[in-house]
Amino acid sequence: MPTTTATHTPQPVILVGCGAVSQLFYLPALRTLVARGEFSVYALIDPSAKAREPLASAFPQAHQLESLSACDAPANSLVVIATPPRFHASQTLEAVARGWHVLCEKPMASTTTECEQMIAAARDAQRILGVGLYKRFFPSSAYLKALFTTGQLGELRSFAIAEGGPFKWPAATPSFFNKAQTHGGVLLDIGVHVLDLLIWWLGEPARFLYADDAMGGLETNSRVELHYANGARGIVHLSRDWATTNEYRFVFERGIVAWKTNDANGLTVQLAGTPSALYTQLITPLSPNLSTASSTLQASNPQSFIAQLQNLAAAIRGDASVFIPGEEGLRSLRLIETCYRERALIDQPWFTPAETTRARQLAAQP
Amino acid sequence: MKVAIIGANGFIGSRLVEVLHLGGQHQVVAVVRQPSSLALPARFTLEWRLGDALNTTSLAKSLAGCDAVVHAAIGDPRQIERMPAVLCAAAAQAGVKRLVYLSSASVHGQIIPPGTTEASPLKADFPFEYNNAKVRAEGSFFAACRKYSLAGYALRPGVVYGPRSRWIADLVGELRTGQAWLYENGGGLCNSIYVDNLIHAVDCCLSAARGTNEAYLVGDAETVTWANFYHLVADSIGVSRAGIHALSQLPEFDKSFREKVENTVAQPWVQSLLPAVPYKLKRATKTVLASWTPPAPPDAWSLPSAPRPHITQEVAMLQQNRWRFPHAKASQTLGYAPPVTFAEGMRRSLSWLRFATELV
Repeated sequence: MPTTTATHTPQPVILVGCGAVSQLFYLPALRTLVARGEFSVYALIDPSAKAREPLASAFPQAHQLESLSACDAPANSLVVIATPPRFHASQTLEAVARGWHVLCEKPMASTTTECEQMIAAARDAQRILGVGLYKRFFPSSAYLKALFTTGQLGELRSFAIAEGGPFKWPAATPSFFNKAQTHGGVLLDIGVHVLDLLIWWLGEPARFLYADDAMGGLETNSRVELHYANGARGIVHLSRDWATTNEYRFVFERGIVAWKTNDANGLTVQLAGTPSALYTQLITPLSPNLSTASSTLQASNPQSFIAQLQNLAAAIRGDASVFIPGEEGLRSLRLIETCYRERALIDQPWFTPAETTRARQLAAQP
Repeated sequence: MKVAIIGANGFIGSRLVEVLHLGGQHQVVAVVRQPSSLALPARFTLEWRLGDALNTTSLAKSLAGCDAVVHAAIGDPRQIERMPAVLCAAAAQAGVKRLVYLSSASVHGQIIPPGTTEASPLKADFPFEYNNAKVRAEGSFFAACRKYSLAGYALRPGVVYGPRSRWIADLVGELRTGQAWLYENGGGLCNSIYVDNLIHAVDCCLSAARGTNEAYLVGDAETVTWANFYHLVADSIGVSRAGIHALSQLPEFDKSFREKVENTVAQPWVQSLLPAVPYKLKRATKTVLASWTPPAPPDAWSLPSAPRPHITQEVAMLQQNRWRFPHAKASQTLGYAPPVTFAEGMRRSLSWLRFATELV
């Protein structure tokens, strides 16, 4: 039974792909939205009945199907595509052709060519295509965006980002590590979020240098050095190998801001000339006057994920524009593709000279 | 030679993959238990297989077609004890004849009696269940090798350091937070071995013409004290040696409630009774133990205290050790001659540390 009466008809959802991301993220998010009467789960699609099981238990009314083609959901349904990236393009094309809107998990597709086909197909069918880069919904991300845009702390001078740690994602299959099934490692996996945020905050870099440790396979460590038109320089280190600090640190003209990865509503700010740094939890804006209304915490990480789905539903109703459309999803993927094209082997200084020579040969092979 | 590496994602296993694959003399098959453990081996284009080191059928499948297998998987004491029997049964089933099992010098304890060699008798009465498990595991390995007529080699390294080693990463953490310490000026002997020297020993076993079903102590060429080890790391990261606590006395060690329960549960007689305990009760006990936290710190009127040494019983015992293991048997039988000096091994280890933590 809905706990809140929604003012609109529940948005029907077709969830395609019932793996780890669906079980860990979409299941609890949709459970909340269904309980509020905002969404209804029409179908759960996955060739594996075992994978569908946890979702089917949560949404017993939903049809359980093995493929999207067997689905008869009404037009205007929202298809959430949470399959491995190599399926994203074909499933999006099929969905929009059948009159459904799409929220496609990151990375948007395997290649930018596929992204462009998806965008064109959605546009021609007049359907919405959103991309699951939900970290843009974090209040912390929005706060940083405001700092970059308004220049409250002056010009950005430099930044350093370290994100990742030993790979712990409960992958059901080895597809994350199979070059025939995915063309990228850590840069494509977590880098797509990092680069998306950077592009959203700062725009495209003027130039960059990229290196990783793929030696014929898929990288576990990536290093990107980015240079911007205003002279700012940033370095990004991503790892599936060893624990990083999982922190973003921005040095502005008049202060330093640190942000812990995935801390959706917290930032640490050091204002130039002040004796301490402030660890801040983001709350609703203050009014100039004392008031009896108390401030409330801004959205948490799970609430930001839910907000993404709510944004899609509002966009489908025509009440809002889609916050992260396909054109935005394409931008980080384009940068990643360019990184891979221009990749150099990262220096692994514990290798012997002979190993380094061999590693370079392996890395240079197509 | 086609060599399967069980535990190819771990500290030793991942370096073994790097050395053997980049060296080109052997064809590597990386064996891991679950897909998420493929991150490091998947940097290369090499064959990898999923295999459970605690399941004979699963492991046998992953060893099919290999000429030799190196076992570098880790686990808790119970798993450590079970793994050798599974390994040998799986190897026999898959037709793999040569096995290298990574045992540990800890079969002799942390404070090693002077004169100890491979010939010294082993006893499973140490205060750490890990040591006892390693003693039993090695015994089980040789028994199973004899049972299936396999050529087995067990290597007993001491303190293995190198890229991705906790001995490096943890020490750096303690040095940076002022928690590092040395007992009696760090004069104890640490029986170090750089990971590439261990891999050299593995390679010796892969090609050895004799010496099967024997255990071998292996180490660096030099006699290394704990002070040598700690000072090199401190110097490298810019921490003053004066910041390392100098201890002349060590505390008594009382096991926590959780450690006591875990040690008891690891005993073979308890293990034999466990199948009779209901699953829900076992799960509830684990949950209670996992949520067990020490009492909260004192009241708000206290002031922050200076960093104190972080003393574990294991390291306290290791630092009291005064015996350096000989590796004469490995040298004479297998041709073991550690190729990397201690100084070079530390240089490479610390260069990895900078790679892992200072890429930004």
